[in-house]
Amino acid sequence: MPTTIGAGRNAVFAPLDDGAGRSAAVVRRLGSAIALGLLADGEQLPAEAELATSLGVATVTLREALSDLRRRGLVETRRGRGGGSFVRVSEAALNSLSRSRLQELATTDLRELGEFHAAVAGTAARLAAERASAAEIARLSATLDRLAVAVEPADQRRIEGRYYIEIAAAAQSVRLTLQEISLQSELAELQLHPRGDADSGPATLAGHREVIDAIERRDGTLARRLTEAHIAARTIALIEVHVALTASGDERQAHQRHNGGAG
Amino acid sequence: MTQQQALGTQDLMTSVESVAERVFDAVERLRRHVLERWESVIIRHEPLRGKDSAGLRDGALEMLAEQRDLVVGMGLIVTPGLLPDEQRRLEWWQYVPGHREPAALRVDLNPDSMGFYEYDSADWFAVPRSSGQRHIVGPYVDAHGTDRYLLTFTMPVLDGSEFLGVVGADVPVSRFETRLLRAWGRLDSEVLIVNSDRRVVVSNSARVLAGDLLSGVDSGTVDIPGLPWRLRVAPRN
Repeated sequence: MPTTIGAGRNAVFAPLDDGAGRSAAVVRRLGSAIALGLLADGEQLPAEAELATSLGVATVTLREALSDLRRRGLVETRRGRGGGSFVRVSEAALNSLSRSRLQELATTDLRELGEFHAAVAGTAARLAAERASAAEIARLSATLDRLAVAVEPADQRRIEGRYYIEIAAAAQSVRLTLQEISLQSELAELQLHPRGDADSGPATLAGHREVIDAIERRDGTLARRLTEAHIAARTIALIEVHVALTASGDERQAHQRHNGGAG
Repeated sequence: MTQQQALGTQDLMTSVESVAERVFDAVERLRRHVLERWESVIIRHEPLRGKDSAGLRDGALEMLAEQRDLVVGMGLIVTPGLLPDEQRRLEWWQYVPGHREPAALRVDLNPDSMGFYEYDSADWFAVPRSSGQRHIVGPYVDAHGTDRYLLTFTMPVLDGSEFLGVVGADVPVSRFETRLLRAWGRLDSEVLIVNSDRRVVVSNSARVLAGDLLSGVDSGTVDIPGLPWRLRVAPRN
């Protein structure tokens, strides 16, 4: 009997469409799922054959990816009865994954990702201003209240993801909602610690609150503009990190990375 | 009014009621089915367990098959904390594209996940729990759940006064709309059904669509008896 599960988790085990570097793509997919809590700490992954089939990769490719994840400390494999591969949450390991992903993408990849996210989230914000019910607006505010008290970077990431997804749902659009869920998974591959950057949290929160205020005042133009500006600023920050990482990286690290190493 | 205006307000209301009541009939049958399955456990005053709700599949699938032209999913959602062995539990089956048999809906029940399906606070669950009455939620995007644009019809499952959960049925907004537009035929009037959020449930106008929020005062709307909806009939501009 087929089963369906929430779009977020469903996407975790969907076939990969990356042509090259499939083992690295498996690592990224599972890493982003761990970062968003879609795969929980201690959760057992499906059996190797089953997981390889659902991701659409060869078993040998999957094994390569699992071994990389083990080296990084994001998966633990136990032998024998009750054995298997289990998820381990490690902020440091997720950070290092994000850093290598940020390094291998080009500035134009990051710009496109940001622009596409702005198109989706900006339109969702505009439509939400027309269509969100009072209850949906209250729920959005409650989500931001949770974001305000979240301390752990992982919690901030998943709550912010929910904020964007709730706006798309409040826009009454299934397509924008599914697109936003998929974008959040992709963006989670790039999220870095707010390393000592004490200002970015409150600024982000204040920015999102302004969007909700605009939605409540039914000002769709403003809700869209604020959302687009916020995402554009985020994108610039990501590109700056990318440039800095690339400038300080050397050939040896790049070589290691292409071989799926922990570099 | 011209000859084309065949249906009066009462006829329009009856057409809405008959489609909604058909869905509620199926939900009511599922409610009785759940209580029958649980009766022996309840009589013994024993706690219900996850396995007690697992046996509901065949009955639910039968009711779902009977309504499949309108309903895409049916099932039971157990109130959190009721089952000693599982904090939250859903027994929900739905038709999915490309498969003849309904599939069990699995959702992410981990509160620390971005994809957490937070049903405790969802109106289709919370309203029947607090009111003890049946309810219709939507149109809404069922994010993290079925990812469909839905109307969800639910009823509380009660043992005396104890709330055990809700049973329900998912009707895609598109199917509900098609059913009513066919029943209404061509009308000279603009007909809207709106919910208590003033969100349009069904409209026969291209300028106001399902999901839109009406602004301004509720002029000219009348309650549809027994349903949380109002009907507005206005001349076409």
